[in-house]
Amino acid sequence: MFPDLRRDVAFPLVGAVGIFIAVVAGGALYQGILGGAAERLVTIALIDAIIVVGIQIYVGNTGILSFGHIGFGAIAGYTFAVLAISPEQKAGRIPDAPLGLADVAMGPWPALAIAVLVTVLVAVVIGIGLARSGAESGAVAATVITLALLFVTHEVARNWPELTGGDRAGLSFSIGGALDSRIPIYGALLLAIVIARLYRQSRSGRLAVAAREDNLAARAMGVNPLVQQMVALLISVAVVSVGAGLRVYENGSILPDNFFFDLTLVTLVMLIVGGRNSVTGAIVGVVVMTAGRELARRLGQEGFEIFGLGLDGAPLDWIFRENLQTVFLGVAMLGFMIWRPSGLLGDWEFDEWLRRRLARDDKTEPESRPPTKAEATDVLVADEVSVSFGGFQALDRAGLSARAGEVVGIIGPNGAGKTTLVNVVTGMVEPTSGSVTVNGTDLTSAPPFEIARNGLVRTFQNLRLFNSLTVRENVEVSTLVARSHRGERDLPTVDQLVAAAGLWPHRDRRAGELDYGNSRRLELARAAGMVPTFLLLDEPTSGMSDTESLAMIEQVRGMADLVGAGAIVIDHDLNFITGICDRIYCLDQGRVIAEGTPNEIRADPVVQSAYLGTAAAT
Amino acid sequence: MIELAQNIIDGFGRGSIYALLALGVAVIFGVMHLLNFAHGELITVSGYVTFWAISAGWSWYIMVPLIIFTAVATSLLIEFVAFSRVRGAGDFTLLLTSFGVHFVVSAIFLLYVSASVKTFNRPGWVTNTYSVGSLNVEVFDTVVIGVTALALLGTTLLLQRTMFGLALRAAAADFDTARLMGVRSNLVIRGAFALSGFLAGIAGVFWLMRAGSTTPTAGIDPMLKGVLAALIGGLGSLRGAVLGGFTLGLAEVLLRSRLPDSVAGLTEGVVFVLIAVLFIFRPQGLLTVAHAERV
Repeated sequence: MFPDLRRDVAFPLVGAVGIFIAVVAGGALYQGILGGAAERLVTIALIDAIIVVGIQIYVGNTGILSFGHIGFGAIAGYTFAVLAISPEQKAGRIPDAPLGLADVAMGPWPALAIAVLVTVLVAVVIGIGLARSGAESGAVAATVITLALLFVTHEVARNWPELTGGDRAGLSFSIGGALDSRIPIYGALLLAIVIARLYRQSRSGRLAVAAREDNLAARAMGVNPLVQQMVALLISVAVVSVGAGLRVYENGSILPDNFFFDLTLVTLVMLIVGGRNSVTGAIVGVVVMTAGRELARRLGQEGFEIFGLGLDGAPLDWIFRENLQTVFLGVAMLGFMIWRPSGLLGDWEFDEWLRRRLARDDKTEPESRPPTKAEATDVLVADEVSVSFGGFQALDRAGLSARAGEVVGIIGPNGAGKTTLVNVVTGMVEPTSGSVTVNGTDLTSAPPFEIARNGLVRTFQNLRLFNSLTVRENVEVSTLVARSHRGERDLPTVDQLVAAAGLWPHRDRRAGELDYGNSRRLELARAAGMVPTFLLLDEPTSGMSDTESLAMIEQVRGMADLVGAGAIVIDHDLNFITGICDRIYCLDQGRVIAEGTPNEIRADPVVQSAYLGTAAAT
Repeated sequence: MIELAQNIIDGFGRGSIYALLALGVAVIFGVMHLLNFAHGELITVSGYVTFWAISAGWSWYIMVPLIIFTAVATSLLIEFVAFSRVRGAGDFTLLLTSFGVHFVVSAIFLLYVSASVKTFNRPGWVTNTYSVGSLNVEVFDTVVIGVTALALLGTTLLLQRTMFGLALRAAAADFDTARLMGVRSNLVIRGAFALSGFLAGIAGVFWLMRAGSTTPTAGIDPMLKGVLAALIGGLGSLRGAVLGGFTLGLAEVLLRSRLPDSVAGLTEGVVFVLIAVLFIFRPQGLLTVAHAERV
């Protein structure tokens, strides 16, 4: 579950405790200075922090904006309240509660546990809807569904008074007095931070982040984003539910409006101001926005005053008004989105900083690994593949076959259908007819991640790296997938792959900072990390000079040998491709017009006419 | 049978307004890939303008052009202040920017007016009805349906027959290529916001005539209807948005009259659930828009 125990468990645990201590100490200090009035503010901020960290788990790792988490909070809050209120009190407020809930007597902690469970079950259903629409229409549709969830829960809470006490009265209760100790809140907050950090570092978290960075590339590396997004959603909803339950407990009552737009706005602003991709950021956001809102509220109510010098009635009167804190929230959201969308901290994490400081990276470049012998029995066959886009016939009964260990070229002029053929083979374009099989297994129209897991892994013509991840982390994504889906093979380590690609000096740089040549090499190393049967390389040397291209050829051959894969290389440069391939297919206007060894292709009159025009062929 | 016919007329009346709102959302989504959660604010602002003008004794005949003008001006202002700065940003930023605009506008009214409901007189004929056979038809619904039909026809002509329409459709199909072909992005985007504001203005006239009041958060409801209708129809499809609007209107009216009284308050909730179910079976919405990613 965790690739590296020291990096992914030990340091995050230490970091989480560090953040937690800082928050608790900060709260105590603030309370100490301002006295009793500040106590509730700090308590609320601590509970908000649990909810915001919970939201971060989903929003940060998947990159999908959710308005629905407070809706989940409402479900948890009401479940908690309905279960935890004593039967005597329920007889007064909601005597007709369905399912005999009016007679249930339960302590607050079992009630909270059940509330979390119920909410997570609802999240499973919602998550399936999110996944289906998200896969078709992208993150925007998913966001609207979460918004709809928020409205549904609010509507139900308002219009089902038998269960919820209705719109105005709500449910209020005393469970032996409201929550009178902060210990449970502290415990839940520490746990929330730990869970959030561990999830981000886990296999599932890493794959979810890869899909956030580039959904298509992640799928091409064998990641099924929907599964990881579901895992993130469930963990995230569980944490939010605990926070929501505590909020109700602390408040001693619940109304439909408690878990609606206002709380959604507050928690989202906290998250984006701090930095949605970072757990530390989420906490920083809670602190900054709590302080900012409190300041705005006071300025709004009491006007501006420094050292007894009141500025009330002065020119600033137009801004220091009641409800200033609401404007402050809206402006903060808008301002950060326009000028600093990644928030104050971006994806900076306290424990990662700690690790970089304390643990020296004294690894030496690993020895190069002996090449893996390809299993010569592996065969890829694409047969009679046709694709039409509207009226345009991109492929017309084209096909190819390749055996492991050989390098097969696909060549042809621009628009010949080379990339489309690779897209069909890797599941990114559905063929109108025809089939793709590997070792007899039919993979036609299988989802891209399924095809990748079966050993067909591609690179992209226009680079698609996971830009905010480091070089190592990029490669790690595919090695993690390989470990669970291609484990029967001899798997190279991340460091071996990085070194083989010549990226050892850049191993801890972000992929987005690499120059063009290194980015290409990283794509190659990432694809090789899947230990594929066949590597499909879409113009690996496009945009490179002749010398760079020659080096790249060596790299492709070396990498294919390292993992024992066959290679299928697309290019439109005849000289380049005849130099590296064992066999070549020549495509023109969607048809295979020639097939053979480099020499045969070079001599073929049909190829010459496609490339040089008919005059040259005669 | 009579009841069904009655419902269908009511549903089309309601759906017309939703269709206008959804079309405005879809136009902007087309050129900017922005799902505009601030669309309802055009109606909030128009609502306060209406409140002040009616209180000052202005007649509804002047209000109609005034509301439309307000909506167009607000739409362009919002584009200039906020959206022009996040062009080309990712979905996340765009969504939250529009949400931020929504909150800032409502907070400004909260700050400078008040949270309380402001009511104004509605024109007298809004509640009038006339009979066709045994059907009771609202004058209001008739006007709404008629005007919407004209507005949709006008929009279609604008999109199909003018240079601006061509540029807008080209930009919606592929913004970058359209720019390379010489379409001026500023012009198209501002034009889209103006068109979106104009459609929201017409919808706003009807919305406010029927509501007769406004609050700082009055924009949420029309925004949700517009966004949901656009989504039901298939995001990015203009025809789908109109279809989605009518579907949503009909669904609401039919449900409200069919649901038992005890759960009638949950109509909106049921509609949301139905939409969720629709999405599970038809995730791309009613009309499919091809937006394959190039690889």
